[in-house]
Amino acid sequence: MSMLGKRVAALFRKRRLDGELQEEISIHLAMQEEEFRARGMSAAEARLRAQREFGGVTQIVEAYRERRGVAWVENTLKDLRYAVRGLARNPGFTAAAVLSLALGIGANTAIFSLVRNLMLRMLPVTRPQELVYLYRTGGWGRGFMSYPLYLDMAKRADIFEGAAARSGIWRSRFSRPESAGVEFAQTEYVSGNYFGLLGVKPAIGRLIGESDNLTPKGHPLAVLSYEFWRNRFSGDAAVLGATVVVDGQPLTVIGVAAQGFRGVEVEHHPDLWVPCMMYDGRIMNPGMNWVWALGRRHPGVSRERIQSVVDAVMQQHLTERYGKNNDADFRKSAFGQRLEVYGADAGISSLRFLFGKPLLVLMAVVGLVLMAACANLANLLLARGAARYREIALRFSLGATRARLVRQALTESLLLSLLGSGLGMGFAVWGQQAILGFLPSKTIDPFALAPDGPVLAFAVGISVLAAVLFGLAPAWRSTAVDPAAGLRGDGGRTTGRPVLRRALVVVQVALSVVLVSLAGLFGASLDRLRAVDVGFRNQNVLAFKLDCPAKWGHAQRQQVLDGFVDRVSRLPGVASVSYGFPGPFEMGRASASIRVPGSAATAAKSAEVASATVAPRYFETVGTRLLAGREFDAKDTKTSSSVAIVDEAFVRRFFPGVSAPIGRALSFDDSKPEGGERTFIVGVVQDIRHAGLREPSKPTVYSPVAQPQAMGGPSVLVDAQAPPAAVAQALRREMAKLSGEVVLTEPETIARHIDDSIFQERILAMLGGFFGVLALLLAAVGLYGVVAYGTAQRAREIGVRIALGARRSGVLWMVLRDALLLVSAGLVVGLPLAIAAARAVRAVLDGLPPAGLTMFASTGMVLLAVGTVAALAPARRAARMDPMATLRQE
Amino acid sequence: MSTGKSDVLQGTLDLMVLRTLESMGPQHGFGLAKRIQQISEGALELNQGTLYPALLRLEQKGWIASEWGTSDANRRAKFYKLTPAGRRQVTRESCDWERTVALMARFLRPAE
Repeated sequence: MSMLGKRVAALFRKRRLDGELQEEISIHLAMQEEEFRARGMSAAEARLRAQREFGGVTQIVEAYRERRGVAWVENTLKDLRYAVRGLARNPGFTAAAVLSLALGIGANTAIFSLVRNLMLRMLPVTRPQELVYLYRTGGWGRGFMSYPLYLDMAKRADIFEGAAARSGIWRSRFSRPESAGVEFAQTEYVSGNYFGLLGVKPAIGRLIGESDNLTPKGHPLAVLSYEFWRNRFSGDAAVLGATVVVDGQPLTVIGVAAQGFRGVEVEHHPDLWVPCMMYDGRIMNPGMNWVWALGRRHPGVSRERIQSVVDAVMQQHLTERYGKNNDADFRKSAFGQRLEVYGADAGISSLRFLFGKPLLVLMAVVGLVLMAACANLANLLLARGAARYREIALRFSLGATRARLVRQALTESLLLSLLGSGLGMGFAVWGQQAILGFLPSKTIDPFALAPDGPVLAFAVGISVLAAVLFGLAPAWRSTAVDPAAGLRGDGGRTTGRPVLRRALVVVQVALSVVLVSLAGLFGASLDRLRAVDVGFRNQNVLAFKLDCPAKWGHAQRQQVLDGFVDRVSRLPGVASVSYGFPGPFEMGRASASIRVPGSAATAAKSAEVASATVAPRYFETVGTRLLAGREFDAKDTKTSSSVAIVDEAFVRRFFPGVSAPIGRALSFDDSKPEGGERTFIVGVVQDIRHAGLREPSKPTVYSPVAQPQAMGGPSVLVDAQAPPAAVAQALRREMAKLSGEVVLTEPETIARHIDDSIFQERILAMLGGFFGVLALLLAAVGLYGVVAYGTAQRAREIGVRIALGARRSGVLWMVLRDALLLVSAGLVVGLPLAIAAARAVRAVLDGLPPAGLTMFASTGMVLLAVGTVAALAPARRAARMDPMATLRQE
Repeated sequence: MSTGKSDVLQGTLDLMVLRTLESMGPQHGFGLAKRIQQISEGALELNQGTLYPALLRLEQKGWIASEWGTSDANRRAKFYKLTPAGRRQVTRESCDWERTVALMARFLRPAE
């Protein structure tokens, strides 16, 4: 074993080493004793004499131990000082090394921190690994299920110790007796066994129990979260028994949940829990999907077994509820539903479904980036090792061992790496913030970004790994020195090409090829979505909703809405204002079943179309082209004739071949083939992408607000010239003048809504592009270093060539050719890897375009271009060389 | 130094060990201790045990290396041997000593 190894091992094997010393001492004493006996002493006398000659054993062992420890610390400090001095002497090298490492480590830490928060953090509950949740798929929304379905599942005691239900986490109006103005709180409705199932204890008071969730509207209770209690009630125990009003319902606070328990969802956290029975709606309606089921499985029951039982229960449930339904289409969509069983140990997360896979792809990408940074650093260290050749030879001849020098070099690598990870933590916090900024604001509560234990451990772990990765080979290589030859001058310098450095450049190029082509793939995917015509041009239009008190009726809401629209339209700088349900980016939420008289498409049975309700000037405001006819106006009232505007998809489906079916009719009464009361088409607008940019437009019917088919909380749309923040402020001011009880939700531009709908693609394209460029930069630095070193080494040869009449352009080409050879080798290695990587990524992520030959070809061209640029400076230097000066120098 | 025996300076013990290993080849601790006492002909006040921290120090400096082996009497023992770096160290320190001794001798010579 090497000396270095011995010292490192000594730290961990104290006991064994002590044993070894003890053994050595007893052998020593035995030998001495034997000798004395051979001289004729008695056994007892010999032992005594031997001990006296040896001296105090304990003192010796102590001195030995101390020496062992001290040397370690001493040497480490010496190495550190040496490393610090060395790095301070080369600030350029140090800065480049620390920066490239910081980017690599920072990127890895940022992504890992997201992965940890989204997928790995265990719920702070009893035995979280036993928890599963059921995720509904196959139509009528995702995730949520109906309360009766949950009850059917909860009955299965053969697989579940128990199953609890919880709603989503919803923003509610919240008030206390002493509060003024409108406050909001995040509310979660839970079944009676929720806290018991999770094993959550109260901090004070009691939690919701089985007997608190028996009869609808019969349990006006609430439990507060610890943080909410701390922040809104200053942790006052007098809150027990107090009344709070949540969405108009007075509730009595019975307790506060234990500190640290923030619900079972990863990205949203409730402020208070209310029994399911208090939910304002028909709880037992099997068509209303509003709860998640959370089960604790019996130990030993596999996920597969649970899935098969759940499937059976689901089939039975569907047959009972929908088996006799006459509508084949309806039956088909009902029976298309399925419940998928997932582990809930790390909590429930909708964001995980949307963002989990892209995040894992990113984790792989940043891993490659770190490898590229390490390869680059190994290259820089090798270059420096070569430059320090004489110093190392000198230290060898002064008695340093190779192990000692390797250890010193590794100390330096470690120091670089830790400096890099220190700076990298900064990048990580910033980078994570940037990534979170890309997430739709509704998908995640702001969460603390301070890196916690596991994340710090990860950062330190990868920096040590990196230090070994990039440090070991250069340390070994640069200490392979023949001291005698080294001191003689240039004689000891390795002749020929620096094989290791060239190999590293090839690796760097190969990694860049992979990263650049992935970036190209992500970019192409985003471009494809960006090229889609969403159907409205005014993307700076601000959209928001009005949050009215729960008890308000339609008339009261409409009155405030009308008053508000009237006020806003008179504000200076506001071009137009309108509103509609559900709003341009949430279309497809409402649907209607219609008949179109004369159309073959509805002759046999009714057709399902998307429906929307829009106010006058709606299409003008969002910038949707009116292709024929007119928009709704003030003359379309409850008593005037029933009218509609349709989109192109509607015309294509129901009036094929007709360009503008103005005056034609449709009917919302779908009971007869020819429909009932007629609604006349007064306009045709261009298609609007309803369900995101990837889905084609559905046939859509727009109705005027005075004749609504379905109307929920409308989106208000304001087209104004001023910056969004200023407009939002003005809007809030207007609302305050009108009513103190109505609150605007955060106004956001339609552009932001569109961005939100493709946030995965945007994040991948942005980070992929950033890392692709970074890898290119690192490869260029590596290539430049190797080429510059190569030409410096061959200076004499090149000088001779020029002296003998070689043409400058020939020299230039000679150097360039060498660089391009390295790039080509990198391409040969990298392109198959890139093709494999693209294939792997496409298998994981949906909706990526195929990676065509042109993409890989252009990646190759980019790398050749970068290689040429990187090699050009040293090549031109070589070509401009003065042969006399070079030869004289030798 | 009325007793006629002298305490050992740390540096001198190091050199003695190195020099002994150089002349005798690999040795175990007891052999080294005996040899040093023999050469110094009892002029050295040395607890044999002091040798072991010194051996560790020399090993840490990379001048000697150790290995478990078997003694002449077929007994398990840890043997120490000189490394190339240790050999260079002996040469260097011997020169230093000779220079120091020569210098001191010049001062201590009775005035002429």
